[in-house]
Amino acid sequence: MGRVVGIDLGTTYSLIAYMDEQTGSPKTIPGPYGSALCPSVVSVDAKGKVIVGEDARDRLLTEPEWTIYSVKRLMGRGVADIQDELKIFPFRIDAKSDNVIRVVLGEKSFTAPEVSAYILRELKLWAEAYFKEPVDRAVITVPAYFNDAQRQATKDAGRLAGLEVLRLVNEPTAAALAYGLHKQKRGHVAVYDFGGGTFDISVLKLISTTEGDLYQVLATNGDTHLGGDDIDNALMDLARGEIKARYGVELDHRGEDVQTLRKILIRAKHELSSAEKTLIEYPLGAKGMYVREIARAEFEKLIAPIVARTMSPAKLALADAKLAPKQVDEVVLVGGSTRIPLVRKTVGDYFERVPHSELDPDEVVALGAAVQADILESGVKTMLLLDVTPLSLGIETMGGVIAKIIPRNSTIPASAQEMFTTGVDNQTAIDVHILQGERELVKDCRSLARFQLRTPPGPAGLARIEVKFLIDANGILQVAAKDLRTNQQHTVEVQPSYGLSDAEIERMLEESIDFAEQDFAERQVIEARTEADSILLATDKALKNAGENVVLADERAAIEKSQAELRSAMAGSDYKLMREKIDALNAATEHLAEILMNGALQTALEGKSLDEF
Amino acid sequence: MPLSQPQTKRAEGVPVTSCWNCKGAVSGTHFCGACGKIQPLPPGMDYFAFFGLPRKLAIEPASLEGQFHMLSWKLHPDNFVRGTEFEKNLSLQRSSELNDAYRTLRDPLARVEYLLEFLNVRKEGTTKQQAPPELLEEVFELNESLDELREARAAGGDVALLRGRLDAAAGNFQAKLTEVDTEIAALGSQWDAAIDFSADEAKRTALLARMSEVLNRRSYIRNLVDGVQQEIAAA
Repeated sequence: MGRVVGIDLGTTYSLIAYMDEQTGSPKTIPGPYGSALCPSVVSVDAKGKVIVGEDARDRLLTEPEWTIYSVKRLMGRGVADIQDELKIFPFRIDAKSDNVIRVVLGEKSFTAPEVSAYILRELKLWAEAYFKEPVDRAVITVPAYFNDAQRQATKDAGRLAGLEVLRLVNEPTAAALAYGLHKQKRGHVAVYDFGGGTFDISVLKLISTTEGDLYQVLATNGDTHLGGDDIDNALMDLARGEIKARYGVELDHRGEDVQTLRKILIRAKHELSSAEKTLIEYPLGAKGMYVREIARAEFEKLIAPIVARTMSPAKLALADAKLAPKQVDEVVLVGGSTRIPLVRKTVGDYFERVPHSELDPDEVVALGAAVQADILESGVKTMLLLDVTPLSLGIETMGGVIAKIIPRNSTIPASAQEMFTTGVDNQTAIDVHILQGERELVKDCRSLARFQLRTPPGPAGLARIEVKFLIDANGILQVAAKDLRTNQQHTVEVQPSYGLSDAEIERMLEESIDFAEQDFAERQVIEARTEADSILLATDKALKNAGENVVLADERAAIEKSQAELRSAMAGSDYKLMREKIDALNAATEHLAEILMNGALQTALEGKSLDEF
Repeated sequence: MPLSQPQTKRAEGVPVTSCWNCKGAVSGTHFCGACGKIQPLPPGMDYFAFFGLPRKLAIEPASLEGQFHMLSWKLHPDNFVRGTEFEKNLSLQRSSELNDAYRTLRDPLARVEYLLEFLNVRKEGTTKQQAPPELLEEVFELNESLDELREARAAGGDVALLRGRLDAAAGNFQAKLTEVDTEIAALGSQWDAAIDFSADEAKRTALLARMSEVLNRRSYIRNLVDGVQQEIAAA
């Protein structure tokens, strides 16, 4: 078995982290560019090769048609759900999409879990390069307010990336875990998580028990479509409006021009977190340059309605936790958008205390995920998370009304049992429709799934089928049915309303898993070859420089033999063999290296007088 | 109410099962005493027994929470990541039962409803929706005001006066709700005393019936208040 990691699969950035055994604290893993932040951007090139992260983000400007960002917004959603987003986000939706959205990237189309799987796979490769061993299990974080379909889609993405998803953990809960570990604080903690695309607020109780530390989520609330993206869009509206008014230029929201503008505006947004004003400069070709100074006060006025939208979930969460703002002992800020001074002020004013921001708001979720991954992996439990389900679960009853069977903010796992029977004589199937949401009517809630219970024909009301609805520790629904007359377990074929079926996942897996293994092996071969090249070169040079008196003939012969063996291993593609031969050569040259290092030191020391030291 | 309290009231008739792992005798507990393995829900175990409590309605919240935390440590799926599929599934079932039980018992009203349902006094969804006789007159007046409000709203007339009247009526019913809650609490104490002093079956049945009646009244008034508030909000 390989390593286990924690992954924050974010709207704007994704991160991967692990538990460092030496220090006992979680750490993020940097990518090839040295940063731990992997832009959640996926691009496909003309040859069909998938590019992820920094390089893909660059292609947003050059190849917008082949590139997708903020795919998290599409997870677990249907075509009808995203009509509003399509006006703002340049998603190209495949007309052939049915219950699962497919986005077009160049010549192919992908589902959101597939695109997310590419991001996960990239992070997995970062970690594998870092550990030099396979990574096959992960804890992945999701917004606390994600519904069942969105969670299922995230889990599917993990599977498609060749990762066993040990647990889905809510982002604010993960942050609280990293925070609690860091501060050793106990009491009521509110986590205000304002990220790129989602907003969550969770209220937790941190308790020390004789068994260990307990993190009990009391209530959670949020908005899965509220984030830094909305702030960017407000700036975009302002700039596009002014550009149109002043220069008569209308920017196509899918084109590359608009991506350049977005990039400039995001930079301005970042600057306004520390500077009082900033300058936006956007070249319009022959029409000149759109130059616009924006002061923080104007920016704050522009985004105030967006920031205000976070407060109603905050109030609801506190009400459900039965706490007044003042009773919250600590407030923790998570997500890049909490760097905005207005956000900090709004939160501080409401809770009447200065919010915490010692931990990097971009990293803290991934760090918490790594902590939970370690708990699950090591089996040594010093901490326990008790999370809740964010939305009430209900079933459709007569007249399109919902009967709530598991209320929101129930600690998970949670379950409910319902008895079903037939309404008319000789009825052989009973339809069950499961929904999630807080409203009374079916049309206002989120359809999760439908299924049919089969029963032999008989008089109405004779059938007695007990259905158990269970929300597991991931917040994902499981359904089991039992015929009480025959005591037989029913198989329930649940058709997700907005998700991939098991068969579809299997098919995608067949295509992708082979890929993933191949990817890992390929990368290992490349790395081993590079390492072999450099050691061979160094050995050649050392042997040439070292005189007969330094290296004895049989030592030289042994080194040359090891070199030859490594060279022949390099001709093949067995990276394990290459590593073996590299180790052998290293062992053979150990004595030589020692002499050379001492010699090098002597050369360096010679010719320098004592007072130079 | 600590776990160590003598549990004579529930010990009667707890069936003995055998452990799925070591075949040892298990009597109404979450784990096998011999091999320590997690057990399926013992037959007949109710939410009270789950926490080692007698079927009494007064429950000290802090001690219930303490029990909940202690059992969470033991039953939670995190403990069974390395267990067999069978154990993993048992842990999932058992921890969901624990959470369901805690959710129900920590809410005083849900606790009474559960007790009545469990003892087959009351079936969920079969609460009578008739106006309690002593409220008939007031309900009649309220409905009249509601009709007037709807008419006034439809005709675009002045709703302020009617709204004020409804506000007052809703406040009145809200006060009745508080009265009913006090009554339920009083009945709860009587029930607990009946358990403590092993009152006879007839006395218990009468108490349960009375509780069920008061709960019906409560749910009727609750719906009324909610309905009025919705109408006021819409006006």
